[in-house]
Amino acid sequence: MANLQHIRRRIKSVKNIQKITNAMDMIARSRFNAAREALLSNVPYVAKTREITRRIMGQMRGQEYEHPFVKTRDELIAEQQEGAGKFLFVVIASDKGLAGSFSSNVFKEAHDVIEYDGTGENSSLDDDGEEENFHKKNFDALKGIKPIAKRTPKQQRQMTATGGIAKATGRGGGKTSTGGTSEAREYHDENYIDGIELITVGRKATTHFKQRGYNIIKSYHGISERPQYKYAKEITDLVMERFESGEIIDVTLIYTQFKSAISCTPDDVTLLPIVTDDYVKASANLKEEYIYEPDVVSILNDFLPRRIATRIYGAMLHSAASELSSRMNAMSNATDNAQELVGRLNLFYNKVRQAGITNEINEIVGGANALE
Amino acid sequence: MATILLEVATPDKGEVYAKEINMLITRSICGELGILPKHARLLTELIPHAMRIKEGSGETQLFISGGFMEVTPEKITILADAAEAPDDIDVDRAKEAYKRAEERITTYKQSPKTHEEIDIDRAEAALARAKARLLVKGVPIP
Repeated sequence: MANLQHIRRRIKSVKNIQKITNAMDMIARSRFNAAREALLSNVPYVAKTREITRRIMGQMRGQEYEHPFVKTRDELIAEQQEGAGKFLFVVIASDKGLAGSFSSNVFKEAHDVIEYDGTGENSSLDDDGEEENFHKKNFDALKGIKPIAKRTPKQQRQMTATGGIAKATGRGGGKTSTGGTSEAREYHDENYIDGIELITVGRKATTHFKQRGYNIIKSYHGISERPQYKYAKEITDLVMERFESGEIIDVTLIYTQFKSAISCTPDDVTLLPIVTDDYVKASANLKEEYIYEPDVVSILNDFLPRRIATRIYGAMLHSAASELSSRMNAMSNATDNAQELVGRLNLFYNKVRQAGITNEINEIVGGANALE
Repeated sequence: MATILLEVATPDKGEVYAKEINMLITRSICGELGILPKHARLLTELIPHAMRIKEGSGETQLFISGGFMEVTPEKITILADAAEAPDDIDVDRAKEAYKRAEERITTYKQSPKTHEEIDIDRAEAALARAKARLLVKGVPIP
């Protein structure tokens, strides 16, 4: 027979847990309101930045040489032949756990994108440039292209100095991720991981990818819950620095998109390069050329970093709101479950108590009967 | 009279201005620009200044702390770091910022070598912002 005191203790501990989850729920709720507000006031800015980028890039056809961030897909392939070819991913997750499946959803998406090998279903075919996730498309284009020429670092420096698009040999020579294999890649494959660089935001993301042996070039902690523009700027500077080094051929951002308080989906967005082929369809009817003041290069030099920072900042806001709403849901579920558990334990407790009383009465009656 | 849609968005306040207007007078890094409806496509960078918006017979001002402007024949989109209508401007804060920036610039100019800690670009940008804010408000610059 279960011990009454034992059950009482269990009830008490469940009630304590319930208090904690309830408190976490309320904290998440109040922070969530602030996060959602911040996100909603940022959304129009991001949308307009994207619109402008799309319009300009639609016009860029044939002028890709103007800026190292803007390329055609053919140029991208050419660059891969020259031996560039690492992929950089920026993964935004959370610092803290206890947010339901928030982090694991991001990681699932991240692995899905990072380990994409050109096999499996191709979701990029019906892409009309609305979503701006071109990683898989880029990968498909680059698949099977072997670096044919290897530049020495010296040559690369000369290229940079002469203003050409910097191109470098990927670390390990031809052993880069896209070294022309069409067989499925394993993420613990050394050669494969060699071709991947990661920037992580949030402690959870860092530990997750570190355990799996990824090459994390920088991680940011303590910024994901209350995003600030200056951190987005910092990440942007790092991303551009890596991209300009010529080793990186494609930069993808993975974050959680906040749709509503009950629906958050992981999403991936290509930050660099801007491949004009993807934008042409969207603006096929635009024929007029833009006037750039003072000129294309200086405007793009200022505008493109701004676009990337805006994108990262927006993604951080999306991620923060998603994290808090996931935590809210998880914690209110936990509180409800605790309530139910307490109810069931109470029932059990009373049953046991009654059984004890019945037993005692039986004993007394039995004893009295024996005396007669 | 023909009109053109003006939209101003900032990263943390969302869309702060969206209206059909007759003319916009703004200042880019290349100088002053007047935008009328059906303007050719244009992309430029703005400096901190007081933008003048003409609608109907009236004229309003809007403070812009720098950003980008895209013009299409039907629409002007401004992506500003911050944008404030005259009513939202904190005059005291702007005055203080003005004084602070000016002091820094004068100390820097006296002996640039001993004051290497001063970020002169930042101070000058701050001065321009404060100046523009006060201008929108119609407060005389001290």
